[in-house]
Amino acid sequence: MAISCIYTVSRDDAEARNWLRFLRHHGYGDLSTLVIERVFWLEGAVDVRSLLPLVANPLYQAGSEHSMLDPGAGPIVEIAYRPAVTDPETPSILAGARALGQDRLEFARLSRRYQFGGLTAARAREAAGRFLYNPVVERVREPDEVWATLRPTGRPDPVRSISLAGLSEGDLCALSQERSWYAPLAQMRVIQAHETRQARPHTDAEIEILVQSWSDHCYHTTWKSLGLLKQLSQATADINHPLVVSAFKDNAGGMEFYEGWVVTVKGETHNFPSSIAPFGGISTKHGGVIRDTLGFGKGAYPVGGTTVMGTMDPRLAEQDVPAGALHPRLIVSESIRGTAYYVNPMGIPMMHPLYRTHPRYAKCFALGHSFGLIPKQYAIKETPQPGDIALLIGGETGRDGIHGATASSAGMTGETLSRESAAVQIGHPITERKFTTAIPVLRDAGLIRSITDLGAGGISSAAGEMAEKTGVELDLDCVPLKDRSLTAWEILLSESQERMLLAVAPENLVQAQAILDRYEVAHAAIGRFTSSRRFEASWQGQKVVDLEMSFLWAACPIEPVEVREPKRRVEPLRLPTLKTREEWSAAVHGVLGHYHCADQSPAGSRFDSTVQGRTVVGPYGGRDHRMPTNLAVSAPLRGKPYGLVTTVAFNPFYGDADPRVCAQLMVIEAITKAVVAGVDYREMVLCDNFYTPRLRPETAWDLREMVAAIAELSRALGVPFISGKDSSSGTFEAAGRRIDVPPTLAVATMGRVPDVSRVVTKEFKRAGNRLLLLGRSDGGGLGGSVYADLNGQRGDRLFEGYDASSIRQLWDLLLALRRERQYVSGAAIAEGGTLLRVFEASLGSGLGARIELAPGAAGTTTGQDATSFAKEEHFFGEFVGSVLLEIEPDVRLDALKVPYRWLGEVISQAEIMLTEGGSEVLRESLADLEESWAKTFREVVG
Amino acid sequence: MTPTVAILYAPGTNCHEETAAALERAGLASELVLLRDLLTGDVRLDRYQASVVPGGFSYGDHLGAGRIFATILVSQLKEQLATFLEAGKPLLGICNGFQVLTEAGILPGKRPGERALALVENESARFEDRFVRLVVSEDYSPWTAGLGGRVLKMPSAHAEGRALWCGPAPGGGARVAFRYCDPAGNPTAEYPHNPSGAPAAVAGITDATGLVLGLMPHPERASLPVHASQDGLELFRNLANWFRNS
Repeated sequence: MAISCIYTVSRDDAEARNWLRFLRHHGYGDLSTLVIERVFWLEGAVDVRSLLPLVANPLYQAGSEHSMLDPGAGPIVEIAYRPAVTDPETPSILAGARALGQDRLEFARLSRRYQFGGLTAARAREAAGRFLYNPVVERVREPDEVWATLRPTGRPDPVRSISLAGLSEGDLCALSQERSWYAPLAQMRVIQAHETRQARPHTDAEIEILVQSWSDHCYHTTWKSLGLLKQLSQATADINHPLVVSAFKDNAGGMEFYEGWVVTVKGETHNFPSSIAPFGGISTKHGGVIRDTLGFGKGAYPVGGTTVMGTMDPRLAEQDVPAGALHPRLIVSESIRGTAYYVNPMGIPMMHPLYRTHPRYAKCFALGHSFGLIPKQYAIKETPQPGDIALLIGGETGRDGIHGATASSAGMTGETLSRESAAVQIGHPITERKFTTAIPVLRDAGLIRSITDLGAGGISSAAGEMAEKTGVELDLDCVPLKDRSLTAWEILLSESQERMLLAVAPENLVQAQAILDRYEVAHAAIGRFTSSRRFEASWQGQKVVDLEMSFLWAACPIEPVEVREPKRRVEPLRLPTLKTREEWSAAVHGVLGHYHCADQSPAGSRFDSTVQGRTVVGPYGGRDHRMPTNLAVSAPLRGKPYGLVTTVAFNPFYGDADPRVCAQLMVIEAITKAVVAGVDYREMVLCDNFYTPRLRPETAWDLREMVAAIAELSRALGVPFISGKDSSSGTFEAAGRRIDVPPTLAVATMGRVPDVSRVVTKEFKRAGNRLLLLGRSDGGGLGGSVYADLNGQRGDRLFEGYDASSIRQLWDLLLALRRERQYVSGAAIAEGGTLLRVFEASLGSGLGARIELAPGAAGTTTGQDATSFAKEEHFFGEFVGSVLLEIEPDVRLDALKVPYRWLGEVISQAEIMLTEGGSEVLRESLADLEESWAKTFREVVG
Repeated sequence: MTPTVAILYAPGTNCHEETAAALERAGLASELVLLRDLLTGDVRLDRYQASVVPGGFSYGDHLGAGRIFATILVSQLKEQLATFLEAGKPLLGICNGFQVLTEAGILPGKRPGERALALVENESARFEDRFVRLVVSEDYSPWTAGLGGRVLKMPSAHAEGRALWCGPAPGGGARVAFRYCDPAGNPTAEYPHNPSGAPAAVAGITDATGLVLGLMPHPERASLPVHASQDGLELFRNLANWFRNS
């Protein structure tokens, strides 16, 4: 069939300008120009000219049947999808052509030609290979290549039997490694023994299903062996909270909201793919966690999300980046692009964009949360019944993401970067957006018996879990493929994005299909649930999988783990005393310009924070919407005043000093951020995400300590965890060097308030108001602090101001004060100490503050030792749990039963002034401070 | 008869529900109309007295923001569209909806199929999520009646919003109804007050009659008591007033 082409070039191509800037920033400083030409390949008897208006808007794009690039202007690299793969744009081109009456267009593809001015051909190819395409699905199209057809071509490998009989330990390990199974020897032996019992070798598909299902990522073997998985769920069960609807058993956790609605939370990390291919890794991180919301109950609707990143310092010199790891600057900027690419088209407001660094995040931390909304009657899914149809909806299945579950459970080495890039998926938000619209319609029509997302482990994992209690029989020939060369096990394991699996009663199938068609969601009945208690699958006339569910779900060996207390190399802080005005000024500018405190809006403002029209408080607020709010408030039920309030706490520095206390502080920080805004901690739930190094006796100790600490704290506070996820693969190994991530825990809260208008934010309200630090502010506040980090130190202990009962006492007092409207602004102390909160509250109001450094001189100090602490600690100390409050002058606070300190007052001049015993130590204009605060992140993002 | 507004949406549209909420707050009835249902003939546009094309990423913005939606409108729904426009019914395109209207040639000149204005990538080449101030140029249009000179605050969130046209002004007698302005109310090219870098600070334009309005920022996200601003509600209230007076 005839193949013709249309070439288009944009006259004012911001994308090309952006790539030019990006590439120059990332090692191609000699690149002088970059032009992008798009090529539409069209197969069929089609009037090419009639399609010009579809592919080019003459106002800013030129379209032609011939290339418009001048071959002399630089080397050209053309990127196309692989012949076996369908372009994501193909359906759109076909739909547009049909609209124009060109029914005879049979297939279409899109390729991109990049012309690199100033680079040699070899460097141009290298740049393209590093940044401009994903070799799993795309490739460089050679200039002399001729396409016989545009349709996907390719032939699958046959199904193979793999016998483990007689293999030695060494052989088993080698095979596991060679096939990218990453299965420990104990698992290989169980599979070997099973082969003997069933008297036939397994197929490749069966072994793939087993090792995927038993991977740490899916089976949580590390947590199970340490007995951790049950600790948090047991604490939650003990609390028996009346608002908890679903905890730790579904794809997300659910809390009762108002008027028969439930809100949901889920946090998911995507550390491995984000470390090796950040754009794809981050976009699919969001896609995946959003599907967890859609897969809660019978389908919740996503109403908000977060992106939380931990990387090495993006300002690191090139030579200090471990060989085999990507430069953190690249990870950060590509992750921002990935978040914008995925979340904006999904139409889900960004609530918390958060970026942090740690020198040991060689394998980065990439977390995203998704919050959802669902009627309570649909919050609990049913078990599929024998005879129910397994209905696969959404995208086609491709080669992307194969072995993601096993690879992400393993550590990362320099070699992993190239070897396992196939494990990184490619996301197409439009596909997910379509079923996000359709799923609530299916749900409300009563057509969904059960629903789950396809994530790690693909169809294998989704069908295996859904059919655990029943059985399932799949016909893999019914799975729509975008890559014709997939063999059976690849179809089962593919982690192609944007797919969900539904259990639909046979009598409801036709109606469900009609709804999916109306919303243009592709669907395929790929099998049925049975009562066989077996996982069965056939492909091309052969039975390729026949496993007992009991073996799949109960035979995974859990090996005992040795646990040993680590010898921590921690040293007490030795911080210099600030004496001169210059030293104080440098310290203040240093803290505000620190990566963790600085203005992160160059990233955050690239994500839609107001879509859905539910946003009450977004990531930035106050005057001019520049002040970080550290709080998100949404009004999810339209026309109602009810508020969904979320917060996140994540501080990678604390784990260095003391993992156990770090874990407690994350819980206290996250809850306090919401309580100070007016959310009752008794109407709040928690979500935990751990990221710890690969298992060694010492890292196991830390992990166990952290989990035990938060389980105990949660129980004592009565604030339950309802969802969480762990990753124990935070280890990077290359060139004989092993880099373990710091013990990491991020905690998110989800709470409710009856009236969003009562939520208090932190910008100052009026000059003359007094500033109160409520809570303890003595001892240990500089441990793990930003201020200590600026001095290259962590310290040997953290602030331990509160146990469960004293922090509850403080929260109760705060809630009582707020009920009486005794404070008009408030903020929780965290990284950057009091300074950062005072600065942000000033920025959000245009007002300033005068702060007295000598305790006692500005007012009363009670309940703590006023003499033993340093002025630096006063201002930079991270007294997690304590809060900064703004109190109107005529408000009389009755004898407070918790420690507190009067700090100073709000002033009308836009400046921050420090005094000691009344005499001025420092006076800085807000504008100068703002400059230091604003420039750090901007320089990173470029 | 109670006027009903058609909120016309397609796969990838993601602002239709909040648009309905804003219309409801203004006292207007609306229905969500799937483009596909117009194509199958299940629903006809002439049932409605006004229409809004809301924001989002229709058809994934493949081939160009709003282009496939626009292609379907001008090729397959040509007659319904012409009847609707000729009847002098108000039409509002917000964000992606504005992109659809320009790609379809409905703005600036109400000439379906003839493109005279494009909304191209922001000067920053990035998606820009910000609160913006808009100064209303005149109050000739039903959408802006009584708002001339007013400064309205509302969210803006898009990657392709920089208006581009040939010649000294957008053609077809179109008028600039909304301009990005600084805190003092002066139209500005300065980033980030003007988030896209649009020339002449263009944020929204109407056709010559003022009935068809395209606006990059999102009035529907500044319409409810829970929102940080309720200035956007003015536009929808104006539509309700126009129905009452005509």
